[in-house]
Amino acid sequence: MTQFKKRLQIFLFPFVLLAVAGDRCLGMLDDGLDALRRRGLGDWPAALLLLLPAVILLSLFSLYPMGASLQMSFFGGRHGEGDFVGLANYTEALNNPDFRRSFLVTLYYVLGVVPLTVSLSFIIAFGLFKITRGRGLLRSLYFLPYVTSAVAAAMVWRSLFHPQQGVVNLLFSYLGFSPQNWLLEPRGILHLLSHGWIPADLGPSLGLCCIMLFDIWHGSGFMIAVFLAGLSVIPRELEEAARMDGAGEWRLMWHVTLPLLSPTIFFLSIVGVIKAFQAFNSFYALTHAGGLPDTQNLILYVYAQFYQYGYWGYGAAVATLLVLVIVALTLLQWRVLGRKVFYS
Amino acid sequence: MKKALLIAVTASLISTLLLVPLFSGCAPATPGGSKDRSFKPLDPDFAVFWDRQTTESAQLLQDLAAEFNRSWQGIPIKVERAGNYTDIFRKVSASIRAGVLPAMAVAYESMTNDYINAGAAVDLEPLLADEEAGLSAEALADYIPGALENNRFANHDNHLYAFPFAKSVLILYYNKKVMQDAGITAPPATWDDFINQCRQIKAKTGKYAHGVHADCSTVNGMIFSQGGDVLKDGKCLYDSPEALAVFRIYEILAKENLAWLVSPSSYEDNVALSKDEIAFVMRSSSSFSDMKLLMEGDTERWGIAPIPQKDPAKPGTTLYGPNVCIFNTTEAHIQAAWAFMKFLTSPEVSVRWSLETGYLPVRRSTLHQPELQQHWEKWECNKVPYDCLAFARTEPNAPGWQEVRDLATRAVSEIMAGVTTAEKAAAALQSGAERILARNARPQ
Amino acid sequence: MKFNRLLLYLFLCCGAFLALYPFLWMLGASFKTLNEASTPSLNLLPKVWQWSNVTETFRAAPFGLYFFNSFLVAGSVCLSVCATSLMAGYAFARLQFKGRQLLFFIILGSMMVPFELTFIPNFVLISRLGWYNSYAALIVPWCVSAFSIFLMRQAFLALPRDFYDAAVLDGCGHLRFLVRIGIPLVMPSLVTVALFAFLGSYNALLWPLIVTADDSCRVVQIGLVAFYSDAGARLNLLMCASSIIILPTVLIYFVAQRYFVQTTMGTGIKG
Repeated sequence: MTQFKKRLQIFLFPFVLLAVAGDRCLGMLDDGLDALRRRGLGDWPAALLLLLPAVILLSLFSLYPMGASLQMSFFGGRHGEGDFVGLANYTEALNNPDFRRSFLVTLYYVLGVVPLTVSLSFIIAFGLFKITRGRGLLRSLYFLPYVTSAVAAAMVWRSLFHPQQGVVNLLFSYLGFSPQNWLLEPRGILHLLSHGWIPADLGPSLGLCCIMLFDIWHGSGFMIAVFLAGLSVIPRELEEAARMDGAGEWRLMWHVTLPLLSPTIFFLSIVGVIKAFQAFNSFYALTHAGGLPDTQNLILYVYAQFYQYGYWGYGAAVATLLVLVIVALTLLQWRVLGRKVFYS
Repeated sequence: MKKALLIAVTASLISTLLLVPLFSGCAPATPGGSKDRSFKPLDPDFAVFWDRQTTESAQLLQDLAAEFNRSWQGIPIKVERAGNYTDIFRKVSASIRAGVLPAMAVAYESMTNDYINAGAAVDLEPLLADEEAGLSAEALADYIPGALENNRFANHDNHLYAFPFAKSVLILYYNKKVMQDAGITAPPATWDDFINQCRQIKAKTGKYAHGVHADCSTVNGMIFSQGGDVLKDGKCLYDSPEALAVFRIYEILAKENLAWLVSPSSYEDNVALSKDEIAFVMRSSSSFSDMKLLMEGDTERWGIAPIPQKDPAKPGTTLYGPNVCIFNTTEAHIQAAWAFMKFLTSPEVSVRWSLETGYLPVRRSTLHQPELQQHWEKWECNKVPYDCLAFARTEPNAPGWQEVRDLATRAVSEIMAGVTTAEKAAAALQSGAERILARNARPQ
Repeated sequence: MKFNRLLLYLFLCCGAFLALYPFLWMLGASFKTLNEASTPSLNLLPKVWQWSNVTETFRAAPFGLYFFNSFLVAGSVCLSVCATSLMAGYAFARLQFKGRQLLFFIILGSMMVPFELTFIPNFVLISRLGWYNSYAALIVPWCVSAFSIFLMRQAFLALPRDFYDAAVLDGCGHLRFLVRIGIPLVMPSLVTVALFAFLGSYNALLWPLIVTADDSCRVVQIGLVAFYSDAGARLNLLMCASSIIILPTVLIYFVAQRYFVQTTMGTGIKG
């Protein structure tokens, strides 16, 4: 054992050296930065040092392509070989019924998925945080949907919701309801629930609702993990203090936990909306881009324009419109929700 | 320390300027595109072939490539699996922008059209006519009708830009057991027979008769079998009486609940047939080997037949299958790719390929080879796809056709979902197709 | 109180079963025959266990090499994302400089760019740099993640101000604070960032498919492509391969979630 310990120490020695040396380097850097700050440069040098790699890489691989495609959106034709057409692609998109339909589908999807996933994930994460036994196992089980590749999970989902052979329709007929077409149903869910009162093309279709259900199931794993992380940094002392003051469990959650968790909720809301607008994997895996327009969102539309038909300019214009909408909604959320976030 | 900041700012400015030349190539090309661009080869020492074969056929292709390389003096061929057709299309499109291409890749006609416009596809006419490396007139005539013609593009002087690789036809798979339970002895020969048999199956057994796979090629095949055409002289014919008849068939299947719609991109109809849940499936003959696997070796319960026809004396069905496009890289790569294509489509190799993969050979003389005769004697159904080769027709290859295909698929899905009628669907498809073809016919 | 606990456990277990069901189906289908796997039914377990599916799966594609590549690439991406997001998150949370808000929005904006748009220009850039079919192409474009920067910023903002003030009093500069005190304090968020960075890289299919040409750099997700043929997917083998591929990620999460424990942050600060 002592031989092993010796070997371990020898192995770790260079790392320790590195750590100590690293600490010294950090110390020197810190002094340098401090000196710069005193010279009146403020926090700029530190910011430069810390932000440079991120800014360079993001500019190269995210912002530059955005610029290139923005440029492409002003040209017509296929495969980037076309004439300058100014804003013609944009006006064409706004007048195109397929574009409007996919935009509406995307909107329904975002409004349906994000609030439901955030609330469901919060409830589950809160529960997972409180339990003591089997905690590791249960947490891992809830994370499984997120880890399962969308392709495999979608296959399972499709066979579960199959109109003729699926388990769900089997259960439905047991319970006395009529079997539904689920993913292949283009009529609205409101129309079906209201027995025909509400017109069929108002609101999301049943097919779209199935896709939303899939994404709530799939995405909750991700949000639960983030919530768990957020719950971990809430100081126990605050909760103890509140309990001692006589607060019950519900009041505790409402007045102590939620406000302290607000940065996390804010974060998940913003990121959730951005990711929901860009949802591709689930839509593609569940419909293979071969479904009816009621299950085709904007990203699928862009995908078809780009890779199936080759209209790069038009596709770039549609994608730019999408980005503008996302930016607008994010700013809106930032203003509205940002005020309510409580930072200690 | 202000000096340090100045240095930092200038350094970043300089590096940005240095990076600009890297980016400049991404700007859209000169309007109109250039026809005769030349590209750098992906691998200078090998002629790379981007293909999408998987499992067993991939191994066969590798073996064939190795065999070819043994007797070929020039650059050796290297087969690479590059994803499915859409993935390959995306990869090639991106590579065109990057200026680097493999020697050859599989492509459908619509993709080849795009490659030609980008100046990436090699015009095969000079290669065909070449004295040493070309094909003689009798060899050319040996290729099945339509296979070569479909790779000639009307908007490019009818020159040959791609070469046929593997073919298949639209056929009817039927389940004998379900049919017998309904009192039917033979598969339908006409469309009226088909509808009547479907009704009989539903009435006598309560099962669905057919699983509808919404697909443009199936619709086109059905139109051909009605004696009609899809695109003639640049005019789309989806509102013709033959096309309307096809959509009416779907309408009857939907209204009378004789068939259900298969989930997009799935093979549920094949599975249902193997489980005796439906009677008819209309798919490509390339599914034949998979169906044999699903049926677990049984040859009594099922069979295949040509699809029903309006007039059995004048049959028609779809001829599918990808072609190979050779890219404008270096002379040596082009020569190697062309020689490999000739090798793959030579009668001996064609027979091996079709026997092992279930695809159909592209040469008529192969139909007399003894191996094929033996194959047909094992089971008479094995001969059916080969017989269909004589009357199978190819689909249009006009620019923008890919979009029209999706519209046709949507029309069938909408009819089956009950949200539209045959007349409305045909009219919508026709106007959509006209709009798309007009948009793409404009000189770019 | 005990009843409440029991109810909670029941609720969580039911939910876990719903979350688990598709995965159980996948596991079951991995050992079925093609026919059985393609049949939708309530039977999760195969009639006859096809153990040969596993060997056939490994034969279809060089999964050993793919796993090595996957771990190498995902591990590198994970490390660099952690490093860059730590630094950037701290900078946005605790440093004051002009244009901070604007720069943060720009970085956030990069998250709003759909992948479809970035793909072709990135591919062209990779080719120009000569990185086609190399590890660099798989790693470098993903070294920085706007989502992670955002998460770390939130994490640093959530730390009470007292910590920073106390550290400054002790003569600790920004960098030292970040490494010695900051990292342990934001560990749960850092673990989350590491986890998602690893997962994002591990589960990526489209980009690796495009920038790799042969098996030397390919990752496990591409191995799944081998099971799709012209006439459908070999469902049972596909499920087998998917199950094998998922296992490492589940194990990693199992280890990672141990960090999601409530810390007592009272130590070090009195009053």
